[in-house]
Amino acid sequence: MNTYKALIALDVKLALRQKSVLFFNYLFPLVFFFVFAQAFHAERGAGMTIVIAMVMIIGILGNGLFGAGMRAVQEREANILRRYKVTPISPAPLLIASTVTGWMIFMPYVFVMFGLAHFIYGMPWPKSMGSILIFVTVGIAGFRAIGLILAAVANSMQESQILIQLVYLPMLFLSGATFPLAMFPPWLLVVTQFLPATYLVTGVEAMLMRDEGIMANIQPAAALLLTMVVGLFIAYKLFRWEKEEKIRNSAKLWLGVVLTPFLCLGLWQMHTKSNAEKTKTLQRQLSRSETFLIRGARIVIGDGSVIENGAVLVRGGKIAEVYAGNGPDPKTVNAEVVEAAGKTVLPGLIDVHVHLGGPAGFYPDMKSYDPDKMMLRNLAAYLYSGVTTVRSVGDLLDNILKARSKVNSGEVLGAELFTCGPLFTANGGHGTEYFKQLPAGIRENAEKQFSRIPGSAEEAHQQVDDLKKAGVDCIKVILESGAGGRVYNRLDPGIFTAIAQQVHADQLPLAIHTGEVRDVEDAVRAQANSIEHGSFRETIPGTLFDQMARQGTFYDPTLSVGEAFKDFAAGRIDLLKRSLVQQVGPPELLRGTEEAMASKDTEEIRASLARYPIDMQIATANLKRAYEHKVPLVTGSDAGNFLVVHGPTAQRELELWVQAGIPPAVALQAATSNAARLLGADAHIGTIRPGHDADLLVIDGNPLEDITATERISSVVFKGERIDRTELFEQH
Amino acid sequence: MPSDSPAISVLGLKKSYGEVHAVKGIDFEIQTGEVFGLLGPNGAGKTTTVEILEGLRPRSAGQVAVLGFDPDRQRQSLKDRIGVCLQATNLPEKIRVREALQVFSSFYTKHADLNQLLRRLQLEEKREAFYGTLSGGQKQRLALALALVNDPQLVFLDEPTTGLDPQVRVEIHSLLEELKREHRTILMTTHYIEEAERLCDRVAIVDEGKIIALDTPSRLQQQSRHASSIVVTCAKALPADRPAWAEATQSALDSTGRTLTVNSRRPAATLVDLVKWIDQQGLELTDVHLKQPTLEDVFIELTGKSLRE
Ligand SMILES: Nc1ncnc2c1ncn2[C@@H]1O[C@H](COP(=O)(O)OP(=O)(O)OP(=O)(O)O)[C@@H](O)[C@H]1O
Ligand SMILES: [Mg+2]
Repeated sequence: MNTYKALIALDVKLALRQKSVLFFNYLFPLVFFFVFAQAFHAERGAGMTIVIAMVMIIGILGNGLFGAGMRAVQEREANILRRYKVTPISPAPLLIASTVTGWMIFMPYVFVMFGLAHFIYGMPWPKSMGSILIFVTVGIAGFRAIGLILAAVANSMQESQILIQLVYLPMLFLSGATFPLAMFPPWLLVVTQFLPATYLVTGVEAMLMRDEGIMANIQPAAALLLTMVVGLFIAYKLFRWEKEEKIRNSAKLWLGVVLTPFLCLGLWQMHTKSNAEKTKTLQRQLSRSETFLIRGARIVIGDGSVIENGAVLVRGGKIAEVYAGNGPDPKTVNAEVVEAAGKTVLPGLIDVHVHLGGPAGFYPDMKSYDPDKMMLRNLAAYLYSGVTTVRSVGDLLDNILKARSKVNSGEVLGAELFTCGPLFTANGGHGTEYFKQLPAGIRENAEKQFSRIPGSAEEAHQQVDDLKKAGVDCIKVILESGAGGRVYNRLDPGIFTAIAQQVHADQLPLAIHTGEVRDVEDAVRAQANSIEHGSFRETIPGTLFDQMARQGTFYDPTLSVGEAFKDFAAGRIDLLKRSLVQQVGPPELLRGTEEAMASKDTEEIRASLARYPIDMQIATANLKRAYEHKVPLVTGSDAGNFLVVHGPTAQRELELWVQAGIPPAVALQAATSNAARLLGADAHIGTIRPGHDADLLVIDGNPLEDITATERISSVVFKGERIDRTELFEQH
Repeated sequence: MPSDSPAISVLGLKKSYGEVHAVKGIDFEIQTGEVFGLLGPNGAGKTTTVEILEGLRPRSAGQVAVLGFDPDRQRQSLKDRIGVCLQATNLPEKIRVREALQVFSSFYTKHADLNQLLRRLQLEEKREAFYGTLSGGQKQRLALALALVNDPQLVFLDEPTTGLDPQVRVEIHSLLEELKREHRTILMTTHYIEEAERLCDRVAIVDEGKIIALDTPSRLQQQSRHASSIVVTCAKALPADRPAWAEATQSALDSTGRTLTVNSRRPAATLVDLVKWIDQQGLELTDVHLKQPTLEDVFIELTGKSLRE
């Protein structure tokens, strides 16, 4: 033990007496610290966390490879190790002392950096400091071990320098330590996943930015630990005290052995891509961390109130403050100014009724339609249009859950997604007709993913429970018997009741598709949270609306889909010509649909839809009466159906409402705070209020006077990130 | 280890580095308290032999016991008990003298008093100096100090004075004499005859991996084929015909004719006879001296080489 203590004490002293050690461990990374801090605007957001992660890793690389590797070779070449050889010690205390020394020299630097970050750049003290220190410790240990192996297999100073550079340079430039990984093309990202340094960078970033603990980074931490253990063991086995003892060139392969944990991790990552995703997510988080002040605008709060000339301060992805008037001096809050005179700031709009996998029309080649890709693209289209949240009420379960995790984690940029997953319906009920034409094998799977058809009350309970476990945000049930030549089996009342009971027991919002009054009646009786569609063919009695008002049942009239079906039946394509639709609609879809509408192929469908009773007057009257009876309203479009193109759906719905006589302020509230309430998300979205997510739609003009102003988008802010709308579709 | 068993015993020791046969089968024993010298030219195999005994290099063949340990197999226990001063070694430039002693001391179970050691090696003033700033002599004294940090009973010194100036050499010699008085066993190698003559109880002359002679310095000298010689110089030239003096073997005049060299089996007897004869010749004796054969002569005689190149 004395031996270890004495060697460590000596190593530390020797290191501190050496200028090159001080340079590589402190000065060199500190220069980077200030340069990066400048480059990443570290005072205005989470840039500092990236800077720290990068600079920390530059330091670890230098400390491990040069500090441990170079020095060990030097001592052997200078005949210093020979002197140790005549004493009774084994290589173990020398190797361990070197490792511990590296750590002891590095740790003060870590604290210096956090100090600088805190006091100069205002970075809060990291919450997971313990985890960071543990992680950095295994990082140092791992890299010291790599350095020692390099020393063990190098036969001369020159050789060691070459080997060290061979390891150092790629780790320095390809790990994200000097260039953010976000800049890398995908193939290079694959390469980066084989470098231990990459995991250090992402790990430290995640711990700083997301307060992640060591357990969330257990894979790289374990790999580094393994590197240390294997590295020290091999360094021990290959240890040479004298320069005269040369080592076979083949021994250099041991270096490969030490890096095997990361070879495995890299291969694993090629498969799971989880670290690459994490990198993207972290990059997203960084973009979401900026501080800015939007001022001079009219602010529609979302709860019905309006500030005619106000300002909104966004910080760390959230709304930090809302001001009447011009707000504070931006310098005092470290904010960039976004001048918005003449504009209106709204909460991001919400569409509570979409089918994200629905194509919304015809593609020239339907076979190449990939629901996974399209779901993400559609979410980007919503975001582009200022619809920052959507709820999918009937989609392929696995696909929609995957899409949700990708957008909600920030890995892919797109509107926030809530989903019911598949919909509950009867055998031969509405929702089952879509897959009739599919070949048997595919159909079975599609039906399993898209619908739930319980045969008994027990099965109903089970299916709801299973979906709850799968993580859906709500349950959608179809009550529909069809009309006008389309006949559907309606769900058995007993089973329906069983579903509703279980949904309430599981505390999920219950959304019920209704076709006519008796469906609405049953839905209201079953304490539905929202009535989807209401009815396009029957007048809903006032007493029923009163009941809904009392229960707080939301009414979602989805006028958009009614209008679109009428247009479709009539062969009109005006809906495709809307400016925003032209901007966000996939070109193949727009072209394909236009061509299909003009061709004979769709005549049959058009004729069949024409027979389907859709009366817009009844539908708008129902909406109007719901409003008069003080039923809480929400906006849904049923996008994904013919001509309801994913994107500016909430805007069209709002326009139809205002045409129907709903005051714009009421309509806007339906599309924001009411919708958020229905989603159970009103604690973080739906209103412009301190603490809420910064989901903002900035438009030209005043939507309270002209609702179409909602389509004149100036900018979109999503979770604090000012969205570069032109680049949104490039991620697909 | 029974006290009467030798500190070191070597039997049939061989060492090859690939094709190079550095040590070709040597035998010797060193008794406890003895100072034993290995004397030989460059490349003779001295360092190889010593480092095998220190447990630094594996041997190719032979039996070796050092303090009762096999240096190949009981390396750690052996190293803990011996002191070693290597021929070629170094310390970090930025280590202080005191720190070096402390660190090396921490490796051993037994510890000498470091202050005393510093005093003894006259390093007290340099205790806080960096190794890199020490003179050659100071570095060597530190090396010796390091060899003594564990208060060893057996000390190996590989060319402890090579490359040092005569003054430093004398200092080191007196230190070694002190160690000798303390009854420590010492195995040293050297190129310097005087060193071996002055310090060693016994000397082994090594050449090309073999011991070609082994005895006390004085007996080695006596073994020489060369008798001692008497050199006399007179004021005037000596006569050409000379008698056979008692015990004399040979005599020769130099070119001046005034200096005569007489080889003798027993110089004392010859000298008396010779001086008597000169007196009879009426010559004036200006200089007389007696030349004993040196170890160097013995060495050259045995190996046909000189000790230093
Ligand atoms: N590690 C080695 N590898 C190969 N050959 C070696 C090695 N060490 C020594 N030799 C060779 O073995 C022979 C004996 O070397 P050694 O160093 O033992 O001689 P020495 O008597 O100590 O010489 P010196 O007086 O120069 O120190 C030499 O020919 C030398 O070149
Ligand atoms: Mg030697």
